[in-house]
Amino acid sequence: MMSKQHIPAEKRRKRTALMDRSDIEVEVLAYVLVSLCVLLAVIPCIHVVARSFSKGTAVISGMVTLWPINPQIEGYRTVLRETEFLRALGNTLLVTFVGTAASMIASILFAYPLSKTELVGRKFFILLCMIVMVFNGGMVPNYLLMRGLGLLDSFSALIFPALISVFNMLIIKNYFESLPESVLEYAAIDGAGDFRTLVSIVCPLSMPVLATVTLLYAIHYWNNYFNAMLYILDPYKVTLQVFIRNFIADAGTLVNQLERTAETMGNLSTGVIIACATVLGIIPIVALYPFVQRFMLQGITIGSEKG
Amino acid sequence: MTGTRTAARGQTGKLARKRKYIRRHWPLYLMLIPGLVYMIVFKFLPYYGLQIAFRDYNIFSSTSPLRAITASKWVGMKHLNKLFQSSSFATVLSNTLIINGMRILFLFPLPIIIAILLVEIRRKRYRSLSQTAIYVPYFFSWSIIYGIFSSVLDSFGLVNQLVNSLGFERIPFLTEPNIFRGVLIFTDGWKTLGYNAVIYLAAITGLDPQLYEAARIDGASKWRQIWNITLPGILPTIVMMLILKVGHILDVGWEQVLIFYNPAVYEKADVIQTYVYRIGIGKLNFSQATAMELFNSVVAFILIIGANTVSKKTLHRSIW
Repeated sequence: MMSKQHIPAEKRRKRTALMDRSDIEVEVLAYVLVSLCVLLAVIPCIHVVARSFSKGTAVISGMVTLWPINPQIEGYRTVLRETEFLRALGNTLLVTFVGTAASMIASILFAYPLSKTELVGRKFFILLCMIVMVFNGGMVPNYLLMRGLGLLDSFSALIFPALISVFNMLIIKNYFESLPESVLEYAAIDGAGDFRTLVSIVCPLSMPVLATVTLLYAIHYWNNYFNAMLYILDPYKVTLQVFIRNFIADAGTLVNQLERTAETMGNLSTGVIIACATVLGIIPIVALYPFVQRFMLQGITIGSEKG
Repeated sequence: MTGTRTAARGQTGKLARKRKYIRRHWPLYLMLIPGLVYMIVFKFLPYYGLQIAFRDYNIFSSTSPLRAITASKWVGMKHLNKLFQSSSFATVLSNTLIINGMRILFLFPLPIIIAILLVEIRRKRYRSLSQTAIYVPYFFSWSIIYGIFSSVLDSFGLVNQLVNSLGFERIPFLTEPNIFRGVLIFTDGWKTLGYNAVIYLAAITGLDPQLYEAARIDGASKWRQIWNITLPGILPTIVMMLILKVGHILDVGWEQVLIFYNPAVYEKADVIQTYVYRIGIGKLNFSQATAMELFNSVVAFILIIGANTVSKKTLHRSIW
């Protein structure tokens, strides 16, 4: 501070000018690069939406850019009526709801005892978690296990192998540990057993972190592709992500079949119905996004605090 | 409470105290049961199954695929030797390292830059809107992203319209082996940029604003502030993320490859796990596939433990 006063006024003005310029430089760069990223994120999505509402011939001739050409909704009608899309959506919803509930219950139940530092055998249980986290038994042994347990082609095969994510469970455990000891002691004096303390005191106090972890599990079940592809072969039990992936590969066959039977010649093309299935798969995520963003940001903050 | 008596009674006192704790808090142990059963059945049992890497596993050699494990003949290192001598092992391993190495090289610095720049955008509305736009794709599944990019990149898609209008041949992005890796990297960045940026953003907003205030008074330019305050401030986060990325170099991103790739690009895109899937589940060559997995798991294990050691030494904190 002292030395600053000795700088001649002229020189000081120069410095301020320099500072202003670098401020502007950085801000311009920020607007340019961030806007570029936004465009790169948004444009592919707009293109797909535009395609989904366009006429098939317009897509095939490469005319569709960011706005539908010869607008129509034949593609959506086909995907919803002629394919198993809705069934796949229903299956995924079911697996997501049941799976998330089961995972939350199992994780909370496992996290609570581990959050007690005086728990006898705590080190051993934490060691088990670490092993599970670091060493993976692998695809083939897991597949054989599912086959051996007779779980192939059942939704349990999508839930049981992912029942507890050690990472998520540890987030809950760390939060439980951070709860004030006094509240829990008060409950104990009140005569509440461990179960009652957990259900009526610890869980209500931990709602923010439980919401975040619920979301992490829900996204996992919703987006899961590999287990569903590996364990589910019954076409009636196909889940959304597998359906969409296979649909993209087989869309050509469907279009050929439909073109032969209907008078909708030219309305549909592979590109249109692939775009329709993709857009339909995006809608639930975007609809729930405000909720997702709120709890995910919270989750990241919690995650970074834990270290 | 009754713990610190004399040293002689210490040992038995401890035991008694433990027993008393278990008797009093038995519900806690009841709570652990579902998780323990889960871990034993779905995590530790597969470890036991890894031994088929050392056997000629035949799934039909017994009524149950699990009993068939011990019913199959023990052949020792046969499958591992075969694996190390096969040409596909080298291809698959180098594909994995190249693709994931490129991911780190191109995609690691990007979210740091974007996070630093996002803070500089002063219009709040524009900032939160652009943050949302970049962040949303993180929640799209790979199937959805495959749907989006197979549209954008096909012969009539947006990119090829541009390529065509500039007077070039249309490019078969998804079936040309030399371009396909680029598609994998780009779409990975497309999905994860926003999420990773938010992690750094959280670190940047946690920095002390007084530091910037002082720097401004001292006449430090914005560039200097970024270089001397922001970057050192978020360095622990950066190092931690880098260590994690390197630790997981063998086992990330394969689900994306599995969804995106096709036989035309196997030679450049087949990674360890997709190869395991194709020969194990696809061709029922269980033992060979498991040998590959065993190799993968062991190396991944070493890498992750190594990463954690590095993290503890440099940052004084464990990565989990």
